[in-house]
Amino acid sequence: MEEQKKPKKGLNLNRVDMPKQEPAVRRNNFNEVARGYTWDMALEEAGRCIQCKKRPCVEGCPVNIDIPEFIKAIQEEDLSESVRVMERKTSLPGICGRVCPQESQCEELCTLGKKGAPIAIGRLERYVADWKREQGIADMPEMAPSTGKKVAVVGSGPGGLTAASELAKLGHTVVLFEALQVAGGVLVYGIPEFRLPKEIVQGEVDFVKSLGVEVHLDTVIGINMTLDELLNSDYDAIYVGTGAGLPMFLRVPGENLNMIYSANEFLTRANLMKAYLYPDYATPLKMGRRVAVIGGGNVAMDAARCSVRLGAEEVYVVYRRSRAEMPARLEEVENAEEEEIQFHFLTNPTGFLSDGRSNVCAMECIRMELGEPDASGRRRPVPIEGSDFVMDVDTVVVALGNAPNPLVPNTTPDLEISRWGTIVCDEKGKTSKARVWAGGDIVSGGATVISAMGEAKIAAHAIHEYLIT
Amino acid sequence: MFPIIEREELAPSVHRIRVEAPLVASGVQPGQFAILIIDEKGERLPFTLSDWDREKGTVDFVFIAIGKSTGQLASMNPGDKLDHFVGPLGRPTHIEKFGNVTCIVSGYGIAAMKPVIKALKEKGNSVTTILQSPDPERIFGREELEEISDRVILATGGDAGFTDPTSLKPLQALVENHKEQPVDRILIMSSFCLMRLCCEITRPAKIPTFVHLAPLMVDGTGMCGACRCVVEGETRFACVDGPEFDGHLVESWDVLMARRCTYADELIGQQSFQCATCSQW
Ligand SMILES: Cc1cc2nc3c(=O)[nH]c(=O)nc-3n(C[C@H](O)[C@H](O)[C@H](O)COP(=O)(O)OP(=O)(O)OC[C@H]3O[C@@H](n4cnc5c(N)ncnc54)[C@H](O)[C@@H]3O)c2cc1C
Ligand SMILES: Cc1cc2nc3c(=O)[nH]c(=O)nc-3n(C[C@H](O)[C@H](O)[C@H](O)COP(=O)(O)OP(=O)(O)OC[C@H]3O[C@@H](n4cnc5c(N)ncnc54)[C@H](O)[C@@H]3O)c2cc1C
Ligand code: SF4
Ligand code: SF4
Ligand code: FES
Repeated sequence: MEEQKKPKKGLNLNRVDMPKQEPAVRRNNFNEVARGYTWDMALEEAGRCIQCKKRPCVEGCPVNIDIPEFIKAIQEEDLSESVRVMERKTSLPGICGRVCPQESQCEELCTLGKKGAPIAIGRLERYVADWKREQGIADMPEMAPSTGKKVAVVGSGPGGLTAASELAKLGHTVVLFEALQVAGGVLVYGIPEFRLPKEIVQGEVDFVKSLGVEVHLDTVIGINMTLDELLNSDYDAIYVGTGAGLPMFLRVPGENLNMIYSANEFLTRANLMKAYLYPDYATPLKMGRRVAVIGGGNVAMDAARCSVRLGAEEVYVVYRRSRAEMPARLEEVENAEEEEIQFHFLTNPTGFLSDGRSNVCAMECIRMELGEPDASGRRRPVPIEGSDFVMDVDTVVVALGNAPNPLVPNTTPDLEISRWGTIVCDEKGKTSKARVWAGGDIVSGGATVISAMGEAKIAAHAIHEYLIT
Repeated sequence: MFPIIEREELAPSVHRIRVEAPLVASGVQPGQFAILIIDEKGERLPFTLSDWDREKGTVDFVFIAIGKSTGQLASMNPGDKLDHFVGPLGRPTHIEKFGNVTCIVSGYGIAAMKPVIKALKEKGNSVTTILQSPDPERIFGREELEEISDRVILATGGDAGFTDPTSLKPLQALVENHKEQPVDRILIMSSFCLMRLCCEITRPAKIPTFVHLAPLMVDGTGMCGACRCVVEGETRFACVDGPEFDGHLVESWDVLMARRCTYADELIGQQSFQCATCSQW
C-alpha cells in the first residue's frame, strides 16, 4: 500500500494501485499475479504525468523509449499512437512492462518521484502492449527489400529475438538457432508464468517468425555446428546471444547432497517443463516441506515463489546482505513478502548436513554484518565470528545467479573472452572475431531483459552497416 | 519432428528404436547421447546412441521401459514422430590403442557400448566383454557382442549354467590374472552400483577404469547442474564433462546414487534401483 500524500499544486502524488490476485489465492496457482490496469486506471495514472520538458524518465530507460509521448497518447485516448511511439524503441513492451526493474530505471528518474510516487511507467507500458495484443492487430512492420545477405542468430532469448527481428526488417535472411525445445531464453525457462505468461513470449516468437525468420530449435551451436562452420557455409555474419546459463554454486561442504537444486534446474523443471502440471506433464519436481532459497535477486524471488506454489509449507529466502541491497525487482520482493515467504537477511550458508542417506536435512549458517562498500558500491557483508547456527531445511535452491554459457566460447578459439567468461566486444557489440557480434548476458555476465534487447538492437544495426558496405 | 523408422523388442521391456535425426547422425561419436521429448507434455529423456547411419541420417538407441515416459516410448511405432531430438551430447568415449581392454556392460549398456567396442577394435585393441544380465530371458545383443569382441564372458542370474550372476567374479578373475595377462583399461556402462563395485575391485591393481555416469539430467548442455558429480575434488557436470569419467577419481558415490534416485518409486522395475543403501528405499 502506498503512503497517502497530500497533492500539491494540482500534482497527484499517489499512483494507481495494480490490481492483483489475493496472496492467499495466488499461493496456490501459477496464474499471473498482477492483473493489469483497467482503461480507467490507465487513464488516471497517465493523467498524473506532467510531461516534463527535460524528459528525465527517458534517460533512465536503457532503450530510451519516448515515455512522455507514449503517455501523452494515452492521455489523449489514442492507444494506436501510443503503441507506435513505444515500438519505435522496443519490440517487447508487453514483456518489459512486466519485468523491467523500473524502480532503478525509468521510474527512478521520474520527476514525481522526488515528492511522491513516480509515474507507473512499466504498468502503463504493459497496459498499452496488452491492449494491442487483445486487438489482434497484426500490422506487419515495413520490411526492407532483400539484401541477399544471411545472418545466424545464436540463442533465442530477448537479445536473440530482438536481433533477429531487426535484421529481418532490414532485409536480411535470418536463421535463429536455439538449444532448447522452445524459443524465448530466460523468458521461458527462468521467469515463471505467474510473472510473465508464456503466451506473451510465444506471441513475440510468432511475430519474429512472421518476419520470415527461420527458427531452428534443438540445435546447439558449438555441438551441431561451430561459429566457424557457420561462417564457412553461407552465413555472412553472426549475432551471439547465448546468455548466462551456467549455474553458480556456493562451493561449501555438502552442496551436492540430494534435494539441493540449482535455481536453473529448479526453474527449468517448474517453468519450461511445467512440473506444476505434473503428472499431466511428465517432468516431476520433488519438493520438501521447508525450503531455503539462497540469494537475493530475481532468480531467488522466482524460486521462492515457485516453491510456495508447488506446495512447500515454509519458504525462507536467505540473503547475505540486507533488504536494501537486494538486486531483485522491488515489486517482486513485496509480492514475495505478501506470499508469506520469510526473509533471513545478513545470513550466509556455510555448509549442508545430510540426513544419513545423502538427503539434505539442515543448513549451517553464519550471521553477517555490513562493512565498507565494495566495487559495486554496495556494502560488503562480513561474517560475525561465533554467530554460527543451524537451520532445518529439507530442500535447498541455490539462486546465486549465473555465469556466461561457455559452449560457444569453448568451441571458438579466436573469440576473445574476459576472465569472467564473457565475450569481449566494443560498444556496438563487435567481437574480436571477424563477422561476429554479441550482446546480452553473454557479454554483460547477467543484466536485464531490456539491456539485452538494447544491445541486440545496436549490434543488429552494426551488422547491417557491415553487410551493406 | 523426428520420425521413428523402426522399433524392435529385443527382450522383455527392452526396445530398440531408430529415429531419423540427420543433424545428430552427422556428428555422433561412440559414447555420446541424445535427449528426446516425446510430445508437448513430455520430459527430456537422455539415451545413449547405439548405432547410426550418417548417410541415411538415422540413429539408434536401446532403452528399457522402466517408467512412465519409457513406457510411452515403448508404445510408439514406425511412422510416429518424436517432438524433439537433440544431440550428440556429452564427450565421446576416449578411444586409442590401449592394448587389452575389458568392457563391462549391463542393461542398456549392452547396446550403448557397441560403437565403443567397434572403435576400440578399429584402433587395434583386443576387447573382452563381460555381459551381465539378471536372468537368461533378458539377455539381448549377445551375438552382436560376440561378433565384435574378441571374447564375451556371460554373467547371468537364474540357473542357466553360466559363470556367475554378476560381473564381479569374472572381473575379479581378470584382475587376479592381471600380472600374467595385463588388462590395460576397463570401460563400464551399467548401473551405478555395479560401476562402483567394479571400481573398488580394480583400484588396488591400479587398472585404469572408466565409468559412464548417467545421473538425472534436464537440459544436457551444462545449464542446470542436475547431473553434477564430484571428480577429483571438483564438481563436474556429467552431460558436458562426461559421461565418461575415471572411476577411481569419482567421489561421493552415495550422494551420486541418492541424487540419481530422487524420482525412484515403486513403479521402477530396474534392479539397480533396489539396492539396500539407496536413499530412496
Ligand atoms: C530466473 C530469472 C529471473 C529474471 N528476472 C528478470 C526480471 O525480472 N527483469 C529483468 O529485466 N531481467 C530478469 N532476469 C535477467 C534476464 O532474464 C536476462 O538478463 C536476459 O534474459 C538476457 O537475455 P539474453 O538474450 O542475453 O539471454 P537468455 O535469455 O539467457 O537467452 C539465451 C538463449 O540462448 C540459448 N543458448 C545458449 N547457448 C546456446 C548454444 N550454444 N546454441 C544455441 N542456443 C544457445 C539458451 O538456451 C537461451 O535460450 C532474470 C533472469 C533469471 C534467470
Ligand atoms: C547420459 C544418459 C544416458 C542414458 N542412456 C540410456 C539408454 O541408452 N537407454 C536407456 O534405457 N536409458 C538410458 N538412460 C536412462 C534413461 O534416461 C531413463 O531410463 C529414463 O529417463 C527413465 O524415464 P521414465 O520416465 O520411463 O522413468 P520414470 O521411472 O517415470 O522416471 C522418473 C524420473 O526419473 C528419471 N530417471 C529414471 N531412471 C533414470 C535413469 N536410469 N537415468 C536417469 N534418469 C532417470 C527420469 O528422468 C524421470 O524424470 C540414460 C540416462 C542418461 C543420463
Ligand atoms: S522498457 Fe523498461 S526501463 Fe524502458 S520505459 Fe519500459 S519499463 Fe521503463
Ligand atoms: S519524468 Fe515522470 S512526470 Fe515527467 S514526463 Fe517522465 S513520466 Fe512524466
Ligand atoms: S543436465 Fe543440466 S547441466 Fe547436465
